[in-house]
Amino acid sequence: MSTDASLTPPEQRRPPAVTAFRADGGSATPTHAATFPQQPLRPTEAAKPVTPDKVVVRNLYFFYKKYEALHGINLALRDKRVTAFIGPSGCGKSTLLRILNRIYQLYPEQRATGEVMVDGQNILDPKVDLNLLRAKIGMVFQKPTPFPMSIYDNIAFGIRLYEKLPPSELDERVESAIRRAALWDEVKDKLKQSGLSLSGGQQQRLCIARAIAVKPEILLLDEPASALDPISTQRIEELIGELKTDYCIAIVTHNMQQAARASDYTAFMYLGELVEFDETEAIFTHPKNKRTEDYITGRFG
Amino acid sequence: MVDAVIRESGIGTRGRALDVVFRAATFFFAILVLVILFGIVAALIDGALPALKQFGFAFIVDSSWDPVKQIFGAFPAIYGTLITSFIAMLIGIPLAFGIAIFITELCPPWLKRPIGTLIELLAAIPSIIYGIWGLFVLAPMLQSHVQPFLVETLGAIPLIGFLFEGAPLGVGMLTAGIILSIMVLPFITSVMRDVFETVPTVLKESAYGIGATTFEVVWNIVLPYTRTGVIGGVMLGLGRALGETMAVTFVIGNSHQFMTSLLAPGTTISATLANEFSEADTPIYLSVMFALGLILSVITLLVLAAAKFMLSRMERQGGS
Amino acid sequence: MNPYARRRLVNMTVLSLSLAATAIGIIWLAAILWTLLENGIAALDVDFFTLDTPGSGSDGGGLRNAIFGSLIMTALGTFVGAPIGILAGTFLAEFGRGNPLAPAVRFINDILLSAPSIIVGVFVYEAMVLRMGHYSAWAGAVALGIIVIPVVIRTTENMLNLVPGSLREAAFALGTPKWKVIVFITYRAAMQGMLTGVLLAVARVSGETAPLLFTVVNNQFWQGVAMDAQMANLPVVIFQFAMSPDHNWQRLAWGGALVITFAILILNISARLLANLRGFSK
Repeated sequence: MSTDASLTPPEQRRPPAVTAFRADGGSATPTHAATFPQQPLRPTEAAKPVTPDKVVVRNLYFFYKKYEALHGINLALRDKRVTAFIGPSGCGKSTLLRILNRIYQLYPEQRATGEVMVDGQNILDPKVDLNLLRAKIGMVFQKPTPFPMSIYDNIAFGIRLYEKLPPSELDERVESAIRRAALWDEVKDKLKQSGLSLSGGQQQRLCIARAIAVKPEILLLDEPASALDPISTQRIEELIGELKTDYCIAIVTHNMQQAARASDYTAFMYLGELVEFDETEAIFTHPKNKRTEDYITGRFG
Repeated sequence: MVDAVIRESGIGTRGRALDVVFRAATFFFAILVLVILFGIVAALIDGALPALKQFGFAFIVDSSWDPVKQIFGAFPAIYGTLITSFIAMLIGIPLAFGIAIFITELCPPWLKRPIGTLIELLAAIPSIIYGIWGLFVLAPMLQSHVQPFLVETLGAIPLIGFLFEGAPLGVGMLTAGIILSIMVLPFITSVMRDVFETVPTVLKESAYGIGATTFEVVWNIVLPYTRTGVIGGVMLGLGRALGETMAVTFVIGNSHQFMTSLLAPGTTISATLANEFSEADTPIYLSVMFALGLILSVITLLVLAAAKFMLSRMERQGGS
Repeated sequence: MNPYARRRLVNMTVLSLSLAATAIGIIWLAAILWTLLENGIAALDVDFFTLDTPGSGSDGGGLRNAIFGSLIMTALGTFVGAPIGILAGTFLAEFGRGNPLAPAVRFINDILLSAPSIIVGVFVYEAMVLRMGHYSAWAGAVALGIIVIPVVIRTTENMLNLVPGSLREAAFALGTPKWKVIVFITYRAAMQGMLTGVLLAVARVSGETAPLLFTVVNNQFWQGVAMDAQMANLPVVIFQFAMSPDHNWQRLAWGGALVITFAILILNISARLLANLRGFSK
């Protein structure tokens, strides 16, 4: 399947066979980006309108020093939809997410090759300004990370980086971000209190509000609810459902039920490969790849 | 829409310029540390050269000290530095060991913090306080009660008697060594205690589990596990003892005459510097001061580097 | 005696000795503090804080100029040394990854941390006093600053390293430039610890005598803030007064010793309280 990775340069390598899908039901080894079903797979399904590709990943390889962690990923994230990444620990789903806003570049021993096209522009190009890129792509992490400042300043921090707004306008932006994150009622009277004084679930929603306050176009969520209790988790999932009307959302989760509940498309990854990628409904009801089926039914992972 | 705003304000490029400036500033001041050390060494060598050229290596073993005739020898000062530090270690290490065992193995949990704080307060007290306490309290007490006793008992024993002869003056190398031991006690205790606490509880519990006594656990499990760290801590204490100035100056007696008795007055390098640096009225005299400083620096730097090496070895090995 | 009884005896002996050692340590501390209080309190009156150092053989007087001079030079040494230490510590923690210079700086710094302070005095004498041609308060402040720097570097680096990487990543993910991440996020998160480190450095430096002995030396009179000349300061005054046979001077020396020790203990306790403050940093 895969040739000896150390002999051929990454750019020229064939990605391993991906169980792709076409509208005609056949499978093929793609040479470029994976394509999507152009129509719903089951005739009885109401047709979901297909939105344009926001992020297209082509031939993506990732290395920790000499170790190859991602082997030739090809996929596309649709705009205004939620794409979930599932797979056992170490399969590379978080790694992939962290490439999308190039946060991996904080660590010199990590490298990525290939193309990640956002709105037609390759963001892996060294000429791309990282700060501007990250303002366009928001990220929420597994552990809630409120900044050591007031709730108001947490949200305003990102806005102040890029825009000089008069105080009244800033207030409005902060309020609308907090409202959008379904947190306003709980914090409207204590905006001056430290962000650290909130509960775990509230802190995470604060981080979501902080991320959307800078008006990104894409949201990356890395296991956003795994550190939270079930009730907070449910609220976050509802929130994601509401947010997707405005953003392209990618979510990594180790919780399959969460992926099934909250996402439109699901990607199953295993050992650094993209094994199967389809509409969520399809992945969970009739997966095409044996490994996918094994994972979903709990035979491993 | 974000792009439009950014392009207009040009914030992106300004941020990047400030990144460079900030990084450069931190780098500059980090290098400054290296420059300071280099400067110290260079200044010492530069100032010491005339004396070293004039007296040669005999300077280190020569005992004469005559500011009038301009003849100087460093031996009594070096000897005093080494002897007082040795005494300080002799007294301080067992005490520190005892306190560290007490805090880590014996002490009830509610007492740990207060006692630890008290010992650390010993470290916080400036050395000049130890000095005047030594001069006004310890020295008279030693003179009237302890030293005569030592002269009569230990002074009579054949092989070591020479260490305890002479009139009891109160001040002297023994007194200085005792004061120094109180000064280094908190440092060594601190390191020992930190290092003892890194021993995994399971390891100690398995030893207790087969019926070992507390002492046996400490002697056979804790000490070997923390050996490198303990040595590092001891050398750290030694480094401080060698360089200590104010505590010693008050009670050492300030004599450049080489005497073998511990009860006799003597001097250390730092005490000589403290007392005579400002009085050095000729270029050679001043250069001798620098030479003494250079010798002290070499000794302490070597000891401290060895201590650091040991302690970092301990961290990396995580124990044995 | 059977082996088991012997083992128990050894154990009991060693443990009693360790208890004794602890008692000795604490008794020593108590003895020193008691002597300080006993001799020093007598000297603390209004005059002590309002009059300047008296000449030899005279009565009365105070340590006003010495207290003032110490405050000035300690403050100056801290204002110079602390920012340098913080920035250098920032380099080690935030930019040192992969840089071979970082371990070298750390090693040298640890050596400087424990270096004899009298050597620092000798260095500043050659570097500043000889060049300027006279002793000065500037030289004294620089000597104190050189002692402050390694302490602050060590504590700053440790505190910055305690800030979780996820907090930094969250700031980067917003598109924050690196210097802003450090100044507005990382510093804020580590602020408590960093301030504690500075307080400890001030405490350490307040009692230092040796580096002042041949940089600023002493001054019998009140000169205000004349930095370019010798300035009175507590440690050197205590040294000179205590070593002299003058009883009035000795009395004042004890008073000064009490004041210094008290100030340092307060600083240490404040640092400890600050470090343990379970507050939310604003």
